[in-house]
Amino acid sequence: MSFLTTKHTLVRRSVRAFCERELQPIAKELDIEARFPWDVVEKMGKLGYFGIQVPAALSGAAMDSVSYCIVIEEISRACAGLGLCVTVHNSVGVYPLVAFGTEEQKQKWVPPLAKGERIGAFCLTEPNVGSDASAVESTAIRDGDHYIVNANKVLVTNGAVADTCLMFVKTDPAAGHRGLSVIVAERGMQGFIIGDLEDLSGNRANAVSSIRLTDCRIPVSHLLGKEGMGMKIGLAALDTGRIGIAAQALGIAQAAMEEGIRYAQQRRQFGVPISRHQAVQMMIADMATKVDAARLLVYRAAAQRDSGGPFSKESAMAKLFASEIASEVADMAVQIHGGYGYTKGYPVERYYRDARITRIYEGTAEIHRIVIARSVLEEYK
Amino acid sequence: MPLNIIICIKAVVLEAPDGKVIRTSETCALNPFDRPAIEMAIRLRDEAGGTVTAVSMGPESGSLALYEALAMGVDHVVLVSDPSLAGSDTFATSTVLSAAIRKLAPFDLLLFGTRTSDSDTGQVGPQTSVLLDIPLVTGVTAVTRKKANFIVERKIDEFIEEYEVALPGALTIHASALQPRDASLMGLETAYGQEQFTLMTLKDLDILAEQVGDNGSPTKIINMQRIQKKRKCEMIQGSVEEQAEELVRRLKEAGHIG
Ligand SMILES: Cc1cc2nc3c(=O)[nH]c(=O)nc-3n(C[C@H](O)[C@H](O)[C@H](O)COP(=O)(O)OP(=O)(O)OC[C@H]3O[C@@H](n4cnc5c(N)ncnc54)[C@H](O)[C@@H]3O)c2cc1C
Repeated sequence: MSFLTTKHTLVRRSVRAFCERELQPIAKELDIEARFPWDVVEKMGKLGYFGIQVPAALSGAAMDSVSYCIVIEEISRACAGLGLCVTVHNSVGVYPLVAFGTEEQKQKWVPPLAKGERIGAFCLTEPNVGSDASAVESTAIRDGDHYIVNANKVLVTNGAVADTCLMFVKTDPAAGHRGLSVIVAERGMQGFIIGDLEDLSGNRANAVSSIRLTDCRIPVSHLLGKEGMGMKIGLAALDTGRIGIAAQALGIAQAAMEEGIRYAQQRRQFGVPISRHQAVQMMIADMATKVDAARLLVYRAAAQRDSGGPFSKESAMAKLFASEIASEVADMAVQIHGGYGYTKGYPVERYYRDARITRIYEGTAEIHRIVIARSVLEEYK
Repeated sequence: MPLNIIICIKAVVLEAPDGKVIRTSETCALNPFDRPAIEMAIRLRDEAGGTVTAVSMGPESGSLALYEALAMGVDHVVLVSDPSLAGSDTFATSTVLSAAIRKLAPFDLLLFGTRTSDSDTGQVGPQTSVLLDIPLVTGVTAVTRKKANFIVERKIDEFIEEYEVALPGALTIHASALQPRDASLMGLETAYGQEQFTLMTLKDLDILAEQVGDNGSPTKIINMQRIQKKRKCEMIQGSVEEQAEELVRRLKEAGHIG
């Protein structure tokens, strides 16, 4: 694959070895208990997983986007919920601070985040706000050197464990999407309340929860960029984030495919391993082709980002395709397992649940099709 | 006293070949038995100061092992690579490594893994040390400093042997000595980003073409054949208790349990 160098081979091997030793053996337990593995997270922090693309001067690993994808893919292959934690933290949690923060803000927030000593979150979704980000109802009203923030954010990835949260709020509620701004809220501030964990279908190792800010006084120095820049920051964050979610979906698909193939070679029916039955072979061929195609799209989007050119369309295509094939491949892996595939005795049942959400978060499949179509129609105008 | 440590490492092939070995970055990896030795080198350097230089002889694909060593925290790496080296046995390899190490001298400690996962001879460490005429302890599990010397431990049968080694000296590090660290992403990124890589060819070494490759190798592999393992499956009949007793009886009979 022309996107890959020997460095990428080493990155994959290294992260895979870590995840197979530290994460894979407990992934089932984390799913059942909906437990966030602090001990593993701490080790990941020391290895640079929480600052993958952060500049070295801010304590990051300063890697390229293809390496980034490989890391997320490998973590997600072992445990999707942790893959989600790491990609959301890096892409929509930390990247906007690096890209839009002042020098002072970067020095204050980024190093502890990059070292995994603090965890980041991206808080956009509200009870009445999903695909339409301009409809945010949370507010930040200026009061001298402070904003008084009232926010009700739901379905926040890393919500219950996050320290540094990008809050999408209206600084000018009358101005529609032009009134949208990003303010950094920190756990421990007066009025910062973490809600109950969501009882998720998949990705259960992730502490997804609601976060509420009630009359929370936040210094004006916590405003990211300028007032009214929320939409711009959000879109830039999501363009980057989508590559990560695509890599997460790819990792889940890879894991499902591997389990499907393994089972097909072991399980015997009608006197032969079921992998000898043509109908099963068709599924194996489809799984392998879909996973490879997704991988090409994901790495292309990453390589495009590294080249410095626009990559919105490429990242949207990669996210759309990888998320859809993740569900298809997990579904086939369950099918190959027969009835056992529908039990918790085999991990494919978990992959099936983990895969489903990738078509919804960081922009639904429908919204992605809108974005892609708009871009393609523009090209052929 | 800061330490100048040299460690010899190898890129091994990951899977047993069916025929000719093709070495690429996909089929090669750092010898797993070298990792604890790298860990030892890094820890000794971190305690005492100084530098760790990793040396590997092999084709270009072997650089992967060196980059991995850099990612773990080694300071410099040297790849000794030359078409004339192809076909070298362990003796010719030791000749080349000792020649390269003379170029890198002075050094205090020379480390090796005990063996490799693909050829498993355990000969390169001892042979290289002999060619360099320095003291050697094999299968070392612990190293502590004693003034200008080192006290090293070696587990053998039911005993722990202790040696005092004068410098410069050589050690082969047992795989059980230390848990090797994971390479960090920072390490992986900087391993490829900096100029810590030196390439040596035969003309950089004070040895002759006759001493290396096929010509310099007193041993030749005449033939290699996969071992066909004969397995047979027997069903033991009876109740669960009877089956268990029969199984125990047979395992005893075969000498597998006491
Ligand atoms: C596990 C998990 C983690 C999450 N993490 C985060 C997080 O960290 N931060 C955060 O802010 N949010 C997070 N979310 C929320 C997620 O991003 C939203 O669920 C998602 O953006 C969709 O919004 P919604 O659920 O309100 O759906 P809606 O926007 O209500 O959409 C419902 C349906 O209508 C369709 N639809 C909506 N508008 C259009 C249109 N214009 N044209 C065609 N179809 C349309 C959608 O595609 C979808 O099928 C998370 C959700 C989950 C489940």
